[in-house]
Parts: sequence; C-alpha cells; structure tokens
Amino acid sequence: MAYASVIAGSAVIRGNVRGDTSLEILGRVEGDVGVTGDLSIGPDAVVVGTVSGARVLIGGSVEGDVTGTDAVVVADTGRVVGDLVAPRIGISEGAQVRGSVRTEGTSSARATPRASAEARPAPVERPRAVVAAAPPPPLAVAAVPASATPRPAAVAPIAKKAPPPPVIPAPRPGVRARKKLARR
Amino acid sequence: MAGSVVGAGLIIEGEFTSDEPVVVEGTVRGTLFTAEAVSIAADGVVEADLQALSVSIAGQLTGNVSASSRVDIQAGGRLIGDVKAARFTIADGASFRGNVDMDV
Repeated sequence: MAYASVIAGSAVIRGNVRGDTSLEILGRVEGDVGVTGDLSIGPDAVVVGTVSGARVLIGGSVEGDVTGTDAVVVADTGRVVGDLVAPRIGISEGAQVRGSVRTEGTSSARATPRASAEARPAPVERPRAVVAAAPPPPLAVAAVPASATPRPAAVAPIAKKAPPPPVIPAPRPGVRARKKLARR
Repeated sequence: MAGSVVGAGLIIEGEFTSDEPVVVEGTVRGTLFTAEAVSIAADGVVEADLQALSVSIAGQLTGNVSASSRVDIQAGGRLIGDVKAARFTIADGASFRGNVDMDV
C-alpha cells in the first residue's frame, strides 16, 4: 500500500505529527501522532506517544494509547504498551500488548461522539472537587488576578490529601504510677 | 523508497532529524536536520531552522538555512531567513529576504 507521507528509518522526530493524510512511520517519533488517513508503524519503528488514524497497522513498538476510527491491527512483530480502541481490533499471534482493549463503534461517524461523551465526565468532576474543598482561591484570584490562579487550586488538593496526624493513645500508667496516683 | 516524505496535509511540529533525504509537501515547524538533501515542494511550508547537505526550495521556507553543499531557490519559491552555503542560486521569479554567507 502506498502512503502519502513517509517518515524514514533514520528519521527521529521529537514533537507532534498530525494531518489529513496517510502516513507510514519507519523511524522514531517521540510525540503524538494523529492522522485522518491510514497509519502504518513499520517493524523497526518506535512511537512514544498516543497514536490515532483510520486504519492503524502496528508492526513496530508503540508506548501510548492507540485509537483507530476504523481499525487497529497489531502485527506479529508489533508491541504496544497502552490501550487499544477501535471498532475493529486485530492482534496477531506473537504480538505483545499490555493495556486495555476496547472494540467500540461501528464506523468513524459513530465512534467519535461516543468517545468524546465518555471523556467528558472525568475533567468536569475534578475542578468541582477542587472548588468544594478550597473556598479561599476566589479571594486570592481577586487580589492577584493574572498569574496566581493556578497556584491555590494546586495547593488545595494537596492540603486535602494530607492525612490527619496519627492518633496515638497515651500509654496506660504502669502499676507503680497507678499506686503513686492513688496515694495522692 | 528511501527517505522521508512529509505529504500534503501532514504537519510536523518539533525536532526532525534524519540521515536520509526529506521531501516536504506539507508543513514542518521547528528544526529540520538531515545529512542528505531537503526538497521543499511548491505547496510545502517549512517554518524551521534547516541544516542539510543541499536544500531546494520551490515552496516557502521561513528560517535560517545551512547547507554543506548548496541552496537553490526555484522560481516561485520563497525564502525568508539567512543562508549559509558554499553555493547559492536564486531563480528568476523567486523571492528572498535575508543574509547570505558563502564562506568567502
């Protein structure tokens, strides 16, 4: 199969790769890869980052989540440490996969809204918890509006997480001490 | 096929190093180093500092260029940035703004 874009075997990219094209990676990418066309990761290729494409064929090594709007196929030479999500997933004998595998959606049109609906609750809940736990931030924001905003929010969860000091009961007075107390 | 092809529609942002030729029909931002030739096609856009054996520009390049062999701006090509190369040509119809250092 011919891919419109090729990252050669000697190539190393530290950064993100994205676009509306098909892509074949034969080299190394340290960053996220997202294309709307088919994506092939060759036997000697390495990707450290999330990977997404229409049909994603993995013959090399991926450390990151893999999403296929159409399919994800891990060839026998493939190795994935991360989650696989696609309507169709294939894992060949000999392939190494560590992560959760989810087949969901039947087409790219249906898989996309479902994934976004699932992703939504988590980020919404987190800020709510922070606001409830830390009433002071609004005051700090009013005093220093520009740069201080993230700091109180970051401090609050830590304060909340810190366990209360351990309650260590005082040792019972010994026999002699009890006699002393009784004498008084 | 040897070498990398950044096809139309592909965007690479970051540090790109290679020992093989690179053809840019899409977009590269950041830095681009290769021991071989770089060719920027008519629709290619490179916003990066570029170091290569030779550089041929038919598209757009914004950034400083250093080539151990040569730099050629083709007709319709556009380069904004400094050039350091032993040989440098600007075709009729090309645009260029920057300094040239030919090691004289």
